[in-house]
Amino acid sequence: MTAAPTAAERAIKWSYMDHWRSNGPAGPVDQWHSHRTMSAFLKQVKAVGFDAIDTFDFRIWQMYGDYGGPAKYQEMVQDHGLERIVNTFHAADYDTRTYAPHLPETHEAILEDFRVTMGRWSEIQLDNIIVMPATLAYDMEPVTDDKLKHTADVWNKVGEITAGFGVRLTCHHEFFCGIQTEADIDTFYSYTDPLYVSLFVDTAQHCIAGLDPVALYDRHAQRVSGFHFKDTHHVAAPGEHANRPDSEIMAPTTGKWFYEMGTPDGLVDFEAMMTAVRDNGYTGWISVEHDKANKEGGDYSESTAISRWYAKNVLEEIYR
Amino acid sequence: MSGIRWAYAINQWKPQFDDFVRREAHERALKTISIAGFEGVELTSGTGRWQPMGNPEQLAANFGSVAGFGRFVRGCALTAVSSWVYDPSERSMEHLTGSLSPLSADDVPTLVAEARWYAQALAELGGSVLVVPAGPAAEDKPPLDDAALDQLAATWNAVGAAVAEDGVQLAVHVDFLSSLRADGALDALLARTDPALVGLALDTGELAVAGIDPLAVIAARGDRIRHVQFKDALAVDEAGEYRQPAAHWTVRVRGGAQEVPRWFAEPGADGGRLDFPALTRALLDAGYTGWVVVESDQSPHPAQSTLVAGYLLQRELLPLTSAVGSGAR
Repeated sequence: MTAAPTAAERAIKWSYMDHWRSNGPAGPVDQWHSHRTMSAFLKQVKAVGFDAIDTFDFRIWQMYGDYGGPAKYQEMVQDHGLERIVNTFHAADYDTRTYAPHLPETHEAILEDFRVTMGRWSEIQLDNIIVMPATLAYDMEPVTDDKLKHTADVWNKVGEITAGFGVRLTCHHEFFCGIQTEADIDTFYSYTDPLYVSLFVDTAQHCIAGLDPVALYDRHAQRVSGFHFKDTHHVAAPGEHANRPDSEIMAPTTGKWFYEMGTPDGLVDFEAMMTAVRDNGYTGWISVEHDKANKEGGDYSESTAISRWYAKNVLEEIYR
Repeated sequence: MSGIRWAYAINQWKPQFDDFVRREAHERALKTISIAGFEGVELTSGTGRWQPMGNPEQLAANFGSVAGFGRFVRGCALTAVSSWVYDPSERSMEHLTGSLSPLSADDVPTLVAEARWYAQALAELGGSVLVVPAGPAAEDKPPLDDAALDQLAATWNAVGAAVAEDGVQLAVHVDFLSSLRADGALDALLARTDPALVGLALDTGELAVAGIDPLAVIAARGDRIRHVQFKDALAVDEAGEYRQPAAHWTVRVRGGAQEVPRWFAEPGADGGRLDFPALTRALLDAGYTGWVVVESDQSPHPAQSTLVAGYLLQRELLPLTSAVGSGAR
């Protein structure tokens, strides 16, 4: 029997994107509720075999307020046997009055935001800072070539800022954002500098938008700096990506868009995706996510176990 | 490496009779057990069509055959069903039998037949231990007398001999309501039984709730331990309420006068009273080999319980069992 490869020997390592809910005595809580709930979260992520975690930018306030900063928080992560924090997701509050990538008059605010943000993270070394590269679709449509150029322009500049901190800027295309069709994504990347702007493939988001995430990845493989491996059971109907006031958790048609990988009704072909990851020679981190797993009776612990079971028993048989 | 193998008990997933009946729920539970680092699963007996994993007939009805269930288990990346907890006091709708008592000589033939039914399926599923309650609940009855202990011993010797024909070890289990927990009754029973046929199932949580130190039991009766269940205790029956009538309902379920919301939890849970690394070391020192089944008994969050226990297993317990022979523990 051949011994399983160590983390250092594997081409792929697995990080968990930190969506989480559990039940506290006063109702549902996330892992940031207390150090005890954080410890329980990290134990479970480690127990199923993840190597690291990803997090959100907006958690940095609790890292500073409750843990003494990102480095101290990362020490707690490491005390639980996890390697580090790999990526952070910059969940910006887009607003066409103040902060919208397709509107040049807001660009200075965006650039200043990243100068400050990267300084806050500078005490630890991240791989990627992930952004949704466009506003909500209904704030950007109709998508024109000029809007795509303006958007590319600001992310090229942001990417230069983050590169100065040794962190890649990478774009994650939510199905409800302004750049989510195949044509617009391709055009956007043709206008961005590969040195400063990367693609972060979220398998479920692209699938919901009606794209084949494997084909998209194959076309842009050299630009890809990471993945969210998560699944969906639904493709958005025409126009549903721009539903007001919210296309995701308030969608009239769909109460739960996202599922952990490894469920029978999942639409993403993860075996094909992993084969493509292997064939494109990708090495490094794959992040696993099951955003809002608790919707409609779901359970984060179980979804985390099922997705990691699938990664270990199916995907790692293809490439590890 | 030690001869200890780690399993997780399925019982926490079925708090009510109509829960946990669907195949997808079973698959998710077994995959959760597997990815948490456990090798096997312990089943609990049950009867009727809403107990798909409760007995061999229901396995066949739901999975085609016992072998079909074995393929299902292995398909979830587990290697075996470690053990089956069989409670003869529960009726069998499959056999049209009512509650069977190990204190009744008349019940022994039926009890032996049902035990073999489980043992044969268990052996086919790669398991090795049939766990039975050692005796009736204490409640407000007098302690077991010599005649009762003689009959208990005769029953379990007969059952142990029968299941041994299938390559299965019988292990008697003492819960915190048991008549065997006090008055020297367990020692008296073990002294009356054949060590080759009747082993002890050490349940750390039940003993702790009963106010008995499981480390002391390992030290005193380690030679008879043939099965281990690792669960933690969150409270202790300090008032001896196990001697109340209908204690199963008034004490175990309702929580007794303290209204204890949860007597048991998985190892690694907040508030647990037991030191599982110390228990593991004691088992190794006693030369124990076989299954250690981790359980929470009942859990408000079954998947979380499994993963929290899996973390403890991987970080603290496996290093101890893996170090056997290296002198590192």
